[in-house]
Amino acid sequence: MEPPTVRLNQTFSGAADDFPTLLRRRGLLGPTAIVDPIRPAGRLHQGNWEPTEATTILAFKFSGGVLVAGDRRATSGTTVVYDRADKVLEIDRHSIMAIAGVPATAWEMARVLEHSFQYFRRTQLQEMSVDGKVRALSKLLRDNFGFVMQGVGMVVPIFATYDSDPKPEARLYFYDAMGAQFEVTDYAATGSGSPAVRGILYYENNWGAKPLQKLSEDEAVSIALRALDTAAESDTSTGGVDRSGKIYPLIKIVSGEGITTLPETKIAAVFKKTVA
Amino acid sequence: MIEEPYRWVEAIANRREYIEAQLASGSPIAALGYRDGILFLTLGQARQKIFEIYDRIAMGAIGHPGDIERLRMAAIELASTEGFTRSTADVSLRRLVHYSLSPVMKSGFEQIYGAPYLARMLFAEVGESPEEDLFLRVEYDGEIATSGATFAQARQDFAALSGTRQSRELMESFLKAEYAPDTNFEAALKSALDAWSVGHMALQTGDAKELPEHSAVTRHRLEQLANSGIEAGILERDPSRGIRYRALLDTELRALIHD
Repeated sequence: MEPPTVRLNQTFSGAADDFPTLLRRRGLLGPTAIVDPIRPAGRLHQGNWEPTEATTILAFKFSGGVLVAGDRRATSGTTVVYDRADKVLEIDRHSIMAIAGVPATAWEMARVLEHSFQYFRRTQLQEMSVDGKVRALSKLLRDNFGFVMQGVGMVVPIFATYDSDPKPEARLYFYDAMGAQFEVTDYAATGSGSPAVRGILYYENNWGAKPLQKLSEDEAVSIALRALDTAAESDTSTGGVDRSGKIYPLIKIVSGEGITTLPETKIAAVFKKTVA
Repeated sequence: MIEEPYRWVEAIANRREYIEAQLASGSPIAALGYRDGILFLTLGQARQKIFEIYDRIAMGAIGHPGDIERLRMAAIELASTEGFTRSTADVSLRRLVHYSLSPVMKSGFEQIYGAPYLARMLFAEVGESPEEDLFLRVEYDGEIATSGATFAQARQDFAALSGTRQSRELMESFLKAEYAPDTNFEAALKSALDAWSVGHMALQTGDAKELPEHSAVTRHRLEQLANSGIEAGILERDPSRGIRYRALLDTELRALIHD
């Protein structure tokens, strides 16, 4: 008799597996990279190994939830390869992953993550908790760390989401390349242009007109644009605002109602009024 | 004994009889396409019978919970890996059922030394317009029935699943006579409840051939609604939503039922 086209696991359902494991079992996702224990990668690349995370991503909490913004420039070394890159990615109705690092790895991670959350909801018949989601991204980063040590595939993301349990609140995390997650109370920034951004956000939060958490949407957008423009001033890998090409950063807001992508016309209006 | 063809046919017939008897008490499920989506509905179940499979696909099932679970997992796994490797737009119910689930169920049924799947399933995929909605019913032996237009039937905007064939056929003739497609949600909800009642009455009487009177259907519906909960889910047609499935709460539905 012909073998069936789909083999069902007769002893146990797929429920125990998470989605990346399922993909690996089917050969649809690359294996976990392992750091060579005999020749530590650090020594292998000693002297010339340098992490690249050429971009600027920022996120902060304001009165309407969390604002996540990213510039649009993608670079390869000193060459600008693309000026409309989306680095702020929607994962589910309430979660955003914003990426600094190697786009190929980052977009793959976003796809895996998006499907993981949905796969969990559909198979387990309940939503994955925020802690579970945060951990899922952490695990993907750790699985990827072997590649980072080999000098490819570094990703340093920010994760913003809205938790409804136990109390409704926006939550914001940043990660390091090994997968450690850090929850922040006010703001996070990552990428090569982030030192400048961090300075601005720290200043605004402590001595600005009002703390970040009290800002209205327009005020928040204005600060995000100013910060990215400042980063672009000294960092060649950050696009900032392209005044001649009219290319604006991508800004998304996470709130209890879900994710809103700000229309370019609105960003342009705030830019014209308060930044340009 | 299996070497003899006659014995094999006999074993298959016995197995069919056994499975039919096991499924006979399964409470009906009605699925109706309306203007803004597809509604799945059943009443009074202790365990969940309506499930989300993928972005535009949902499933209702009756049978053994263990078998339903295995088939549900297989369907989700297939759809999710396909959607991940290609695109969510490449996941189609037609392929999922015809090329994957049906062959598995058929071989499970015919390999008479193994256990068959004690399950019968109803799938629906929401389209951009009601004409593009697809309903597929898969039997325990892998047999597939479609709501689409064939040589034998006109296109139908509904599908039914029940414990017995006669109960399901009565539900279908009821919907064929009473249900106008391209309707609003409230009308679809009422028709789904009535179709469920028709199917449920047929299961109770056992040998009903004719559709019951309207008043009897309404009476049965009111009686059952007083004692049991409604389980329902919708696939929304609105293309701006990535994920179309939403489970509906008993309380929000009851507010929409009049009379």
